[in-house]
Order: sequence, then C-alpha cells, then structure tokens
Amino acid sequence: MVFAVIRAVAQRAPCNALTIGARTLFGVKMPKYGPDPLDLATGLEKKEMMARAAGNDDPFEIAAVKRGVGTREQPTEIPSMADSRIIGCICNEDSLYVAYMTLHMGEPKRCECGHWFNLVPGNGITHPSWIL
Amino acid sequence: MINQNHPFHLVFNSPWPIFTGSSVLTMLIGTVNWMCTKSPTMMNMGLLLTIFNTSQWWRDVSRESSYQGYHSNLVMNGLRWGMILFITSEILFFFSFFWSFFHSSLAPNLELGLMWPPLGIAAINPFQVPLLNTSVLLASGVFVTWAHHGLIEQNNKIMNTNMMVTVVMGLYFTSLQAWEYWESSYSMSDSSFGSTFFLATGFHGLHVLVGTIFLLVSLMRHNLNMYSLNHHLGLEASIWYWHFVDVVWLFLYSFLYWWSY
Repeated sequence: MVFAVIRAVAQRAPCNALTIGARTLFGVKMPKYGPDPLDLATGLEKKEMMARAAGNDDPFEIAAVKRGVGTREQPTEIPSMADSRIIGCICNEDSLYVAYMTLHMGEPKRCECGHWFNLVPGNGITHPSWIL
Repeated sequence: MINQNHPFHLVFNSPWPIFTGSSVLTMLIGTVNWMCTKSPTMMNMGLLLTIFNTSQWWRDVSRESSYQGYHSNLVMNGLRWGMILFITSEILFFFSFFWSFFHSSLAPNLELGLMWPPLGIAAINPFQVPLLNTSVLLASGVFVTWAHHGLIEQNNKIMNTNMMVTVVMGLYFTSLQAWEYWESSYSMSDSSFGSTFFLATGFHGLHVLVGTIFLLVSLMRHNLNMYSLNHHLGLEASIWYWHFVDVVWLFLYSFLYWWSY
C-alpha cells in the first residue's frame, strides 16, 4: 500500500522533487545520457576547458618559463595580462632561495645573478582572441 | 564575463565561516554542559545552528562550482588535496581513540581483573550483528564504486540505483548499531571497556551518519544535473569519505569486537 503510494507520487513528481533517484526505481525511464562536460561547464571553468581543447596547455600563463639568453639586449620575455607581475628567478640549479622581483610593463629588469627579464603583453584567458 | 586571468578562486565575502565557528563552539560548550547538568538545550541549539550554517556554506560552494564555474582545474586539485588532508586529520582523530583503547586493553589493570574484557563485562559476540555490519559496509563500498562507474559511463539508471542502495545500506548500518547500543548489557560507564568502546564506536556512528548524508546530497546534486562525467568532485569526496568510514569500521571490528571477545 505504502509502496503503491510512493510509486504513484514518484511517477508524477516533477524533476526537482524526489531527486534522490526514486524515479528510476519506480519505472520511469531516465535518459541514458549525462551532460556533455563542455556543455555543462560555465564561466572560468568553461573558458579553461575551451582553451585546453584548442591546444593551449597553459591558459592562465602560470607555467614556469625557462630562461633564455637573458642579456640586456635579449631579455627573457615574461607574458602578463596586467601592467605588472611578480616573478621569481631561480638563479642556478643549486639555489637555496628564489629571487623575487616585480616587473613592470616596458621596463626590463636585471636579477642579482645577472639575468635580464622583460614583461610583455600576454595571451591569457581574458585576451580577446579567446572570446568566441 | 570572468575578468580574472588567474585560475585561483578568490571567494566572495561570506558570513558562513564565522557563523559555523560560533555554532560549533556553542555545540561543544553545550555538550560539556549536557554532561554536567543533564540539560541538552545548548547542545541541541548549537547542533541545529551548525547544520544550518554548514548547509548554507556548502550550498554556496556548489553554487560557485556548478552555477558560476569558479572551479578550474587548479581549484579542483586544491579541493582534492583539502579532502585528503581532512580525511587524514580524521584518521588521526580515530587514532587517539585507538590509543586509549590499547592503553587500557593491552595490559589490563587490577581493577579490571587483569583481563580483557574486564571481569563482569559480557562482550558482544563479533560473529552476530557486528559481522553483519561489516558485510553491510563492505558491500556498500562495492555499490558506491559501481555507482561512480555508472556516472562515468553516463548510465543514469546504474548511478541512481546503486547510490540509493549505498545510502540505504548506510542507514541500515546505523539502525543496526542503534539496536546494538539499545540491547547492550554494558554502558559507557562500565569501566574503561565501556568508555573506550562507546567513544570509538559512537564517533564512528556519527561519521557514518555524516557520510550517508554526504552521499545522499551527492546523489541529489547528480539528479539536478550538476555533475558531468569528468567533473564530479562532490561525489568523489563523498566516496572517499565513505571508504574511510568503512576502513575505520574494519579496524574497530578487528580490535574492539573480535580481539576483545
């Protein structure tokens, strides 16, 4: 009797009521699907997913940058979407500390170890090229 | 439109942390008060407030992830580590109860009769209800894993059915334990045996209850289409918590029930 009542309610309940799965147990066929991950995602998560799907492994540009030549004429270029960015230079492999400094757009800077860095406009997630 | 260029989630101002802290403090002071004055009023009020505050906090977390999309890969990774660290802290919590159990039981003192279980304590037969409890929890671990695979394979029927079975098994375990507590010939006041036994199994029961609610909420969120096949951190966390509860029970069963018999 109780079973029949629960069954009757479950088969007629709108989607949000009895969201504990009673509808599947009482014979209503749930679709054999799940939301497509990209379709379900929204906001920042979706942007990141789309960027990764397009082949960008580092959509937020937070990966460590391997230093290049690093002379005054050829500084290592660090991308940034803002006017300034804090970076850390690992001067040599056996460094016991990271040398942090703030870079400003258009002003090349030299680390104590002699390596030059320059801040350049980046291609981060809010860059117009990613807005589809 | 998201304007941030970084993957971190800088949370909006929220009242829930401070409120949760206050309500938990109220609950704990109330619990001590209940032990001293037999009045559970402050404890019950604190418990109710804690439930309200934590529900609203976690409701906000699920809104921020599913509806606002703040949970980037990095944030998800941080949450995974957070859950692992929390479960580790719970393991240490139970470790302390096992320490107190072994302190009393490995070298029982004169007052207990130099034996364990102490003289006069009729220990529960581990091959009756406790064995059923063990099988219920182990089987529920299997069902919850099956449900997880159902989600990954986009099979709603398997997911819903098996999660429901897991939740029901959790409730079955709790009711069996409640019956055992009711029928038990000894209480928490009965020597260090009763103290350590009910402290450890009691907290374990509370954890089973919380784990069951967590699994149920995960199931409800799935039916509200908040999960996709590769982003379902709430479900994963609830399953990890459930496995932890299961493992703790195995230790409890082995030492507090079987070894003590």
